[in-house]
Parts: sequence; C-alpha cells; structure tokens
Amino acid sequence: MSENAGSRNPLQLRDQPETCRTADAEERSAWQRVIGRFADNCRARSLFVLHYCTGCGAIELPPTITSRFDMERVGVSPMVTPRQADILLITGYVALKTLKRVILSYEQMQAPKYVIGFGSCTINGGMYWNSYATIKQLDQYIPTDLFIAGCMPRPEAVQEVFLELMRMIDAGKANAWRDYYRNYDHYLANQQALFGPQWHTPTDIVAEAKHYGLMGPGTTGPHTRLLDQHAEWALDRIPEDYPERGENERSER
Amino acid sequence: MTLSLLAELIVMPLIAFVVGLALVLMMRRVRARIERRIGPPLLQPVYDIVKLYAKRTQVSHGIMHDLAIVMLLGGITTSVCFLPVPGLEGLARQGDLLTLVYLMMVPMLGLALGVGSCANPNGSIGISRALTAMLAYDVPFVFVVIGLAVAYGTTSLPEIIAHQQSGGIATWGAAEMPLLAIAGFIAMHAMLGKEPFEIYVAPAEIATGPMAEMSGKYMGALFVMQSFQLYTIGALYVTMFLGGGENWLTFLMKLFAVVFVSVALTNVYGRYKTDKVIRFMWTWPTGIALAGLALVMMH
Ligand code: SF4
Repeated sequence: MSENAGSRNPLQLRDQPETCRTADAEERSAWQRVIGRFADNCRARSLFVLHYCTGCGAIELPPTITSRFDMERVGVSPMVTPRQADILLITGYVALKTLKRVILSYEQMQAPKYVIGFGSCTINGGMYWNSYATIKQLDQYIPTDLFIAGCMPRPEAVQEVFLELMRMIDAGKANAWRDYYRNYDHYLANQQALFGPQWHTPTDIVAEAKHYGLMGPGTTGPHTRLLDQHAEWALDRIPEDYPERGENERSER
Repeated sequence: MTLSLLAELIVMPLIAFVVGLALVLMMRRVRARIERRIGPPLLQPVYDIVKLYAKRTQVSHGIMHDLAIVMLLGGITTSVCFLPVPGLEGLARQGDLLTLVYLMMVPMLGLALGVGSCANPNGSIGISRALTAMLAYDVPFVFVVIGLAVAYGTTSLPEIIAHQQSGGIATWGAAEMPLLAIAGFIAMHAMLGKEPFEIYVAPAEIATGPMAEMSGKYMGALFVMQSFQLYTIGALYVTMFLGGGENWLTFLMKLFAVVFVSVALTNVYGRYKTDKVIRFMWTWPTGIALAGLALVMMH
C-alpha cells in the first residue's frame, strides 16, 4: 500500500493490515487465466490420494480401488507419501495422538491439496461422540473440502465424493487449502487448545504463506506469536549443548 | 548439416517423450486389465505430469536436490539422441553402444545425489538399493554388450542395425544369438525397476524409496523420466536384438511388443529381496550371457 496519504480513499479503514491481499499477476492477464483454467482441468483429472486409514472406514477403500469400482478410471490413484499426494483421505475417527500425525502429514503436502473427511466420526464424532480420546470435528483442525456422511459410507458414496471434488476443482472452488494459510491462527488456536501452547510442527506455515503470497487477515495472531516465542525459547536453549550451532543460527537471524 | 543435426536433436527427444507417454499408458492399462479393471483414460499420463508441474508450492531440499533433477533430465534426453530411430540418426555415429550404456547410468547417479540431500531414511534406503540393483544388472548387461561387439565387430549402433536388416529375420540378433537375447532381456527388464526387481521402489515397504521426498515439479520430472526410460530401454532392445526399425511402423510395433512383454511379466511376480536380486542376476542372466558369449567367440 502506498504511503501517499493524499491518494488514499477516505472510506478505507485506517489500520488496514499490510497483509491485505492484492491480486497477483497471474490472476490479471488473460493468457495466465487460460493457463490457470487448463491447469485446473488437469488437476481435476489427476488426483493422488493419501489414505490416512485411521478408523474402520478403511475397509471400504479396497473395493473402491480394485476391480469392482476402479477409481483409476477417473484418474484417482493411491500414493504412498504426503509429498506426492493431492488428497488426504481421513477414514474415520481421529484420536488425539493420530491428529498430530494427520496435521504433520497435511502440512507436508504441496498445495493445491484437498482433505476429505470420511464417515460420521470426522463430522461430529459419530459413535465416539462422548469419547475423551477422539476429536469431534475434523475441520476445526485442518480445512476440509468435503465430508462423506455415513457409518460407514459405501464405495458408491466414496466415488460420488471424488466426482464432486473433481467438479469443484474444475470450477476452481476447492480452495480450503488457501484457508489454512489465510486463517492459520484460527486452526493453530484449536490445535494448541488440544496439545498445549508448546505445540509446533516442522513446517513453517507463516513463512510459506509469505513466500507464496497467500497471507490473509488471520494468518498471524496471538497463537502464531506463541510459535515465535517457542522458537526464541529453543534458541536460548541451544548454546548450552551446541555452542557453535547457536552462534550460526543467531547470526542467520 | 549442422542445422539438420540440431533439428534432429530437438525432434528425437520429443518423439521419445510422446512415444514414452503412450508406453506409460499401455503399462497402466495392461496392469488394469490383468486386475480386471478398466484402467486410466487416454490422456492420463499427460494430466499427471501437467498437474504435478502446476503445483503451487514446492519443497526443495537444497541445491543438490535441484541439480539432481537437471542431471536426471539431461541424462535421459542425451541418451535418446544417441539412439538411432528410422530416418533419424542424431548423434549415433558420433557415439556408440558403450556411450549409451554410460549415459543410461547418469539419471540414476543424479537421483542418488539428489535423494542424499533429502535426509529421508526411506529415500536413502531406496537409493542404496537402486545402486545395488544397478550393480546386479550391469554385470550381465556388460557381457551382452561385449557379446554383441564381438559378433558384429563394431559397437556402432547404425552398423549393428544395418547388419541385422541385411537378411530379414534370420539375421536379427535374437535369431543369431538367442542366449544373449534372453540374458539381455532379463537385464533390461531389471533396468526398468519393475517387479520382480522392484527393490528400490517398493511402495509398501520403503514408501517408493527415492521418490518419497519428491513433490510437485520434482515428482513431475520423475514422471517424465519414467516415460523416457520405458522408451530408451525398449528401443535399445529393439536396436540390439530385433533388427531396429525398417520404418516407423515396424519400429513402433517392435517397441510396443517388447515393452508389453516386460510389463505383462511385471504383473505376475512379487518382489524379490535385495540379496535375492543380486544372487539371481549374477547367476542366471550372467551365466546365460557368458554361454552366449562363448558361442559367439567360437564362431
Ligand atoms: S464413522 Fe463409523 S465406520 Fe467410520 S470410523 Fe466412525 S464408527 Fe467407524
């Protein structure tokens, strides 16, 4: 935003955050729009799924992949690591311990990425609604594009949700992953509520959001400041054990 | 002269890429049919590659990781230029079979350098297995190459093709030296890194090994490499033992036939253990290749 006060719209809020999103170049030029359209088209037709088989629902996936329903017909194929995958498929209840791994896996995936919650357990806790050890709503902790209701959903429902996701991607509407960058503080707050203020992951979401121009009004906030505090705290601890490393990291900062 | 050579150097990798994509599609369709599925649509390999290159975020693990991809793509595109196809010779007269054998190792070495900087244990295990596999299949393969060189008195690929085409099927390498052809087939099947020699990918065991940390464009480059690899290895086998191509039709037919046999075999085997792969490669194909070499030398 320009510092020239004279050209400023008086109706504009005075303290508009500098993270206010301006359209990036690729959204402006017609040529880039054509390319973006083509890319969305290809994205919709090639989906690599990381099955996070936490609950009972995993048993419905083999028929979905193999000869009876054959997902590969529509370009959906299983992949084995989060780095390679586009879809994170959470099949069922998520225990607190599991949630940590789910978040780590989700953050390792490369955008655009999509999350599908599979079964009632991911929607409202399902039959584990009063368990002390499972979370109730998956989309409070990671942004979820689609849910499949049912306990457990049949392969037809799984296919239907993949087709729906394809329609959404093709129309450029499957943007939940942007929400994780734009409202990271909100998701982090919910994560910290479960795992305590020390909770942090190896992936620096704020830095990624800055780098790729995905900052939003809620990217940083009181909860991401806790992350910074934690980093400070960790740096203060380092010199006792590794004096040289502490020196290097300090000078890098 | 130089201009036409330059044009060939651009056209040959392009052809190889397009044919390679078709081979990848065939591989996936054959696997699907054997599992009684329908398989992916016609343009699936293209969608996959475009999708991977269109990822918004990337993870690089340092300069070595980036350079590895350059080395890998450079290695495969260069080796394609040394492989004569009907009507296009490229650099085939400047290099020979030995050059090609060298160049075909470059992508794997590049991958090793890149994966080494990822610090992923699955990747390190995978790449150590990949290099072990290379050690295993290169021994019989080198004997096959020596056998060919002794039989034809040359290692120049255009001359080998000309000799095989001089008398129809009876002068094909596979007809004149069946033992070498069998050993060569096993060794080159192992080069593809498919079952039963799939030790370094092993998705259920080490999470695709070298590919575990590859995301977005890096993975896209590996998909491109896969299509080139199918083409290079298939075309090299056709050149060495099936008389090369008289024209594009016969060349493509032979190429698809060779790769078809290979990928069909893939689907009926499980995966050998690493030590079993070495033991197998150093006994059976190596033994057959040595016997073939002895026969060739006695003639
Ligand atoms: S929704 Fe039902 S089938 Fe799925 S994990 Fe929960 S209890 Fe199991």
